[in-house]
Amino acid sequence: MLEITDLKSRIGDSEILRGLSLSVKAGEVHAIMGPNGSGKSTLAQVIAGHEDYEVTGGTVTYEGHDLLELEPEERAREGIFLGFQYPVEIPGVNNAYLLKAAVNAKRKHQGLGEVDAFEFLKLAREKMAVLGMDPKFLNRGVNEGFSGGEKKRNEILQMAMLEPSLAILDETDSGLDIDALKAVAAGVNALRSPERAIILVTHYQRLLDYVQPDYVHVLSQGRIVRSGDKSLALELEERGYEWVREAANA
Amino acid sequence: MGTRGRERMKQSSLSIDTLREVVRTLPKNGLTPSREAAVAHLDEHGLPTLRDEDWKYTDLSPVVDISNRWLTAGGQQQLPKPPSETIAAITSSIDAAWLVISNGTIDEQSVGALKQKGVEVSRFSDAPSEFVMSRPLADLNAALLQDGLRVRVTESIEKPIGILIVDRAGDSVAVAQSCVEIEVGSGVSADFIEYHASEGDADHYANTVLSIAVGDRADVRHVRIQNRSVRHVQTGRTSITAGREARLRMASYDLGGGLIRNDVDIDISEPGADITFDGLYLAGDGQHIDNHTRVDHRVGPATSSQEYRGILKGNCRCVWNGKAIVHKGADGTDASQANHNLLLSDKAEIDTKPELEIYADEVKCSHGTTVGQLDETALFYLRARGLDKRHATQILTHAFAADIVLRAPVAGVKDAITAIVEARLAELIEADAAADLLS
Repeated sequence: MLEITDLKSRIGDSEILRGLSLSVKAGEVHAIMGPNGSGKSTLAQVIAGHEDYEVTGGTVTYEGHDLLELEPEERAREGIFLGFQYPVEIPGVNNAYLLKAAVNAKRKHQGLGEVDAFEFLKLAREKMAVLGMDPKFLNRGVNEGFSGGEKKRNEILQMAMLEPSLAILDETDSGLDIDALKAVAAGVNALRSPERAIILVTHYQRLLDYVQPDYVHVLSQGRIVRSGDKSLALELEERGYEWVREAANA
Repeated sequence: MGTRGRERMKQSSLSIDTLREVVRTLPKNGLTPSREAAVAHLDEHGLPTLRDEDWKYTDLSPVVDISNRWLTAGGQQQLPKPPSETIAAITSSIDAAWLVISNGTIDEQSVGALKQKGVEVSRFSDAPSEFVMSRPLADLNAALLQDGLRVRVTESIEKPIGILIVDRAGDSVAVAQSCVEIEVGSGVSADFIEYHASEGDADHYANTVLSIAVGDRADVRHVRIQNRSVRHVQTGRTSITAGREARLRMASYDLGGGLIRNDVDIDISEPGADITFDGLYLAGDGQHIDNHTRVDHRVGPATSSQEYRGILKGNCRCVWNGKAIVHKGADGTDASQANHNLLLSDKAEIDTKPELEIYADEVKCSHGTTVGQLDETALFYLRARGLDKRHATQILTHAFAADIVLRAPVAGVKDAITAIVEARLAELIEADAAADLLS
């Protein structure tokens, strides 16, 4: 589904990704771990198409097509979803409006008609129940005045409504209490299917107790330095990142 | 000739002789003395020029030019009226008892419709008003006013009173004056909606004067919507006096117009007043919208709070100047001012200036102004959800305006304002997208 080969990227003058390769197939859940500044978020942003990150080398193909050629909105409509580390507050834009606009943008791209308003609300309420979200959040400004946990749940709600083929969740677990973490994990697990792939970008192992990854990769200085199964995450938890960094430099 | 004299020569001035001739042709009635006084005042002071501090960003040359041409052509008072469908489209979209003034002529039938229990209406021609000449352009208004209306609300009313000032520019240049004085009695609750519209291709200048005296403990909500043709010129003055513990919620929406200058004066001479006035202006190519506000806190405690927001796109200029004067002894004053602007093109210009003059000791005053572009992070967030750049821009721009739209204190006008704002923003952003394609 996603093939990243020798990806290099920088923001301004600082090079962040320095030859990263990763292959993700449908049905797989990958966890990308690593210390702060290792390039985890950059990878997520580059896949989503953030214009501040310049790709200076390598290729990214998604379902056989050159992903880097697409605008961010085209990537989203093709089924890529980025759950933001810091979801943006947009006062004055109703949450339901954004959800519906996002769903309709994708449907239009697929040659489908606009979503029926009644069906949309019904679906949104169902998904919100799974996430333990009060339906009143639909009528609030996007993330406006939401707590950290509410914002992350809102990201998962958007993901659930958009049913992406490839979901990248950037530190979705950070700053969550245990209830919110469980709710978010439930939302992610509900999306797991043989047709979908999920990339969890995370600093801590804790989310992986609730969402079991098939693969764990450790990022350091813009490259994947270790890959393994979920036991790697536990090893990291025990031994810390310093161990990986030393291994990478060796 | 000194420098001042030369500058005066450069900026054309109102032809007082022609004005005097036209005023002489107007019917003799209760307005005659004030007309004569107004002409004398204009003769002495002229219209404001760029040399006047309060007018330095707004060149009134179009006002002078249109007025002079119209006066020279005889100062025709019986001007074309807008078709009834135009009027009906507005009055049917907003629930109110509508008073209609077309090209300066008060619609007799609408005056009748205004009359209800607790509302008294009279004409200046029957009961002359004391004009305050020192207010710029109010003198021109007084000199040429066909007739003015005084509306006294003595009991609380449920249905808003609407004042529709709607002009049509026919084949030739036209000038229209209108003046409405509102008095809201003690303890009375009332809603007002002021709507300005114009159509037609010829040059048109409208000059309006509105005053609201908010009685002791009265509760007044006032919404002003200006949706004139971008070809037309309007200057308007709104003067407010607030009684003891009076409450006023006011919001002003400049959504059209070519050259627009609004002056809002608020005078707080009794303690306990609580006044909020907000504004939104949307400007595109060729538009110039100037909002000057002034609050005089003469006694305390009292609260005044204002927030104006502007969205500017293309080659346009907007001005916001908010002045609050806290006079000596007005302790317990709480005055806040804010002006936020979204500049969607580098050709747009905003002059924003809060002015606080504080002569009292115990006061709480704050002001803040911002000028900025769209938030790139929010733009990316929306695009990452599949919304194209134009749609995302539209949403964020709309959200910026929405705060002020939602503050419209009269519930029944929000839909109408939203519809105009949406249409206007779509036009502005559409133009942006077209420019992107061309570049």
